[in-house]
Amino acid sequence: MRYFGQKFVQLLIVVVAVTFTVSLALAAVPNSKERILATKGGGAITQADRTAVLESLHLNDGVVQQYGYFVKDLVTVNWGTTFGGNQSIRTSIWDGLKVSLRLMIYAQLLALAIAIPVAIAAAYRQGGLFDRISTTMSFGFLATPNYILAPVLILLFSITWKFLPSQSTDAPFFDSPWQHFRNYVMPTVVLALPLAATYMRLLRADLVNTLQSDFITTARAKGLSTNRILYGHALRPSLFSLLTAAAVNVGALVGGSIVVETAFGLNGLGRKTVEGIFRNEFRLIQITVVVLALVYVLLNFFVDIAYSWLDPRVRAARTLS
Amino acid sequence: MRTTSSKRRTATLLGAAVVSFALIAGACSSDAKPAAVKATTTDAAEPAAGSDTTVAGAAETDPPVTGDTTGDTTVTDTAPPDTAVVGPPDEGTPTPGGDLVMAVEGETSSPWRPAEMVCAISCHQIARTVYDPLMLPGSDEQPHPYLASAMEPNADFTVWKITARDGVKFHDGTPFDGAAIVDNLNRGRKSILVGTVFKSVTDVSVDPADPMVAVVTVSKPWAALPFTLMGQPGYMASPTWLAASDTDDALKAKPVGTGPFVFVDYKPSEYFKAKKNPDYWNQPYPYLDNIEFRVIADGLTRRDALKTGSVDMLHTTNGEVITEFRDTADLFPSTEITFKGETSYTMFHVTQEGSPLLDKRIRCALAFASDWPTVNETVNAGVFQLANGPFSPTQTGYLADNGFPLEQDMAKAQELVAAYKAENPGALTLALATTNDETNLVLANFQKQWYEEAGIDSVTIDQIDQGQFIVTALLGNFQVFGWRNHGGLDLDQQYVWWHSSSSLPVGELALNFGRIKDPKLDALLDANRASNDAAEKKQIAEDVNTLFATECYNSWSWWTVWMVAHTPKVHGIDGGNLVLPDDAGNAISGSGIAGTFYPQTIWMDS
Repeated sequence: MRYFGQKFVQLLIVVVAVTFTVSLALAAVPNSKERILATKGGGAITQADRTAVLESLHLNDGVVQQYGYFVKDLVTVNWGTTFGGNQSIRTSIWDGLKVSLRLMIYAQLLALAIAIPVAIAAAYRQGGLFDRISTTMSFGFLATPNYILAPVLILLFSITWKFLPSQSTDAPFFDSPWQHFRNYVMPTVVLALPLAATYMRLLRADLVNTLQSDFITTARAKGLSTNRILYGHALRPSLFSLLTAAAVNVGALVGGSIVVETAFGLNGLGRKTVEGIFRNEFRLIQITVVVLALVYVLLNFFVDIAYSWLDPRVRAARTLS
Repeated sequence: MRTTSSKRRTATLLGAAVVSFALIAGACSSDAKPAAVKATTTDAAEPAAGSDTTVAGAAETDPPVTGDTTGDTTVTDTAPPDTAVVGPPDEGTPTPGGDLVMAVEGETSSPWRPAEMVCAISCHQIARTVYDPLMLPGSDEQPHPYLASAMEPNADFTVWKITARDGVKFHDGTPFDGAAIVDNLNRGRKSILVGTVFKSVTDVSVDPADPMVAVVTVSKPWAALPFTLMGQPGYMASPTWLAASDTDDALKAKPVGTGPFVFVDYKPSEYFKAKKNPDYWNQPYPYLDNIEFRVIADGLTRRDALKTGSVDMLHTTNGEVITEFRDTADLFPSTEITFKGETSYTMFHVTQEGSPLLDKRIRCALAFASDWPTVNETVNAGVFQLANGPFSPTQTGYLADNGFPLEQDMAKAQELVAAYKAENPGALTLALATTNDETNLVLANFQKQWYEEAGIDSVTIDQIDQGQFIVTALLGNFQVFGWRNHGGLDLDQQYVWWHSSSSLPVGELALNFGRIKDPKLDALLDANRASNDAAEKKQIAEDVNTLFATECYNSWSWWTVWMVAHTPKVHGIDGGNLVLPDDAGNAISGSGIAGTFYPQTIWMDS
């Protein structure tokens, strides 16, 4: 319990540091006031509107006051509207987050669904034909950037075979599961293949080590079936690296799938963030950074907890400490 | 190398069109028609007079149209003004219903309040779903009342009475009347950008004798005012919504007008959705049940979206895409819009203190150094006609030969630069601004090469984000800039872009981006504004054209071709399909604003 308390305090420190830095970042942007005003209504706004915009951002207040207002707005979800599009920032981020979360979940599930069985099969027959083929293929997927894979898939599945839309829309799953599938399958595959390759290689390496452990030898000596040994005994303690990588990738995928989102026309959080930067949507960026930071730290917090579940030795060590 | 994307498009696109009040069309048609534009009676079935739009296969003009020209494809050539006229193609009887998805190239507005919109082509196209303008250009190339029922001047064009069309209501139920016109126009007057258009307006008020009439008083004769009200300054928004959105920013993204479609949803850079207005005052329009605009900035991605069925329609100025759709007209019919169209060019800031561009020799040297024919072939697939001035061939003021060089003359350019250098020792440098669009960078690199070969010591290329590009122009923070603009029917629609009254100091928002201050040009523009004589206006426009060629205020590249390509089930693109109210005939072919159409006339096969 003490361990989790420490982790929670660390989490809070990170959150405070991020929010404080972000709250001050706006003032540090060169010509931030002018750029905001130029963005607001294309610059074609009255003096009264200009004053109101700047006052709402508290740019003339002291550092601590600015931070206080920022945290207050953050907590009360009073995030305002975008400078250029007059959109609720809360709605805008939520819309982007939904798309990014869907992409992330689908990509992770697909990547794990591919990586785990392949890695187990490859590790079980280390150096065998399947191992060599899967290793080679994983190198291929790792070496193929998503900005190449995306247009290739579009060329094949959209333009040549006309099976899938080249530009995806966020079709709601419950309205039409088929349309949802058609719109998300290509972005998901583009994101998942390199992930699957990474996961496969990490898990395979850990499994190879685990399979050489004494307890696996003991299990074999007891006459347990291969599947039981692989899935019941070897897999769980081999998931450390995979879990860590998957957790890191959750955060990376939520905010960093810019290329894929752009290629397929999906307005996820990553794409919105990058476009926001180019459009001087500082307030949107501030809130997005905080949201993404929260996603990261919370995920890492939960991953730390998961370690204990994965390996009793970790749980024991933490109990002793 | 045949790249795609948008030629000057992006730059321009965002740019040029930019703040588009404007500018629809205009002017100086062949007969000296009175500027008073009370609803007139003409034969609605008459073909669109003055149009240069020709039905596929019928065009044998220069440059020739290539490819299959069957189906409902219409092609527009860049022939001289007097080309024979053809109305919109006969596409059968419109069928009500259907949902249309159109891919547009940019995201250029919100607030969707007419007085504040910073409007490029895509913005206009979207705005036309929700808003109706007071006036629209007819096939006679004159403005006709559309949402207004009449617009009448006094004898010297200093007072105009605009009558609101009876029985029209905004989508929120607010009645459209004289007060609504007054509110909208007064908001325009107070606006930083649109206000430039209304600078000479001294008063707008409701006629005490008739609540349906707004009275506009101007400080000096303004015979061409109706042309101005065909575009953004004439879009009418609900006063109720305007007042509510004054204190609620989020409401500014949910426009309420009288238009053929009612706003449903909008997400910046993503989509704009509207549904049929069943109570639209101009029946039987609209035909579609729903219309959605999706922003797909990249030209090739937009093309692929149409080819794969993700969208039903797109617009483009991409030479490669235009060529491709010309060749596949059976699969993707298209309409090309060049009538009264716009010009792509390089804009110079001509009054910046210490700038070498203050000197006409340098400006002209840059024009002589430019090799646009080669670039047009390599980058645009040769689609566009090279431009020698601001007026495209169908615009009043066009001159086949105004003295501006169409081909590169590097020796002349070097001679001019050398003469300047002899009088102005020291480094001669220029900054060339463009967007971060790949094709625009290619163009900028061509220009850098030409200019340095002409003798400019150093040309730097500044890439500016598209979103900031317009703002940079408005603030005048540039020396050399890629741009696209100046479509329209009347020279008066260019007033705000060229008159010195719009030329404010660097750092202040001004529509005269190049900060031209030329008394001769001012005099010509003022004379045109006051005149109602077609012959006189024609001469004035030609004089303006010549003046631009002589002074080299801009370096002209080509006249833009806008293509609207679609699936075969989509019909009714041509602007001539719109029948104006009060038996005023058909609207103008090409719909008045480059690259746009009237959404109410679109219909789809059931």
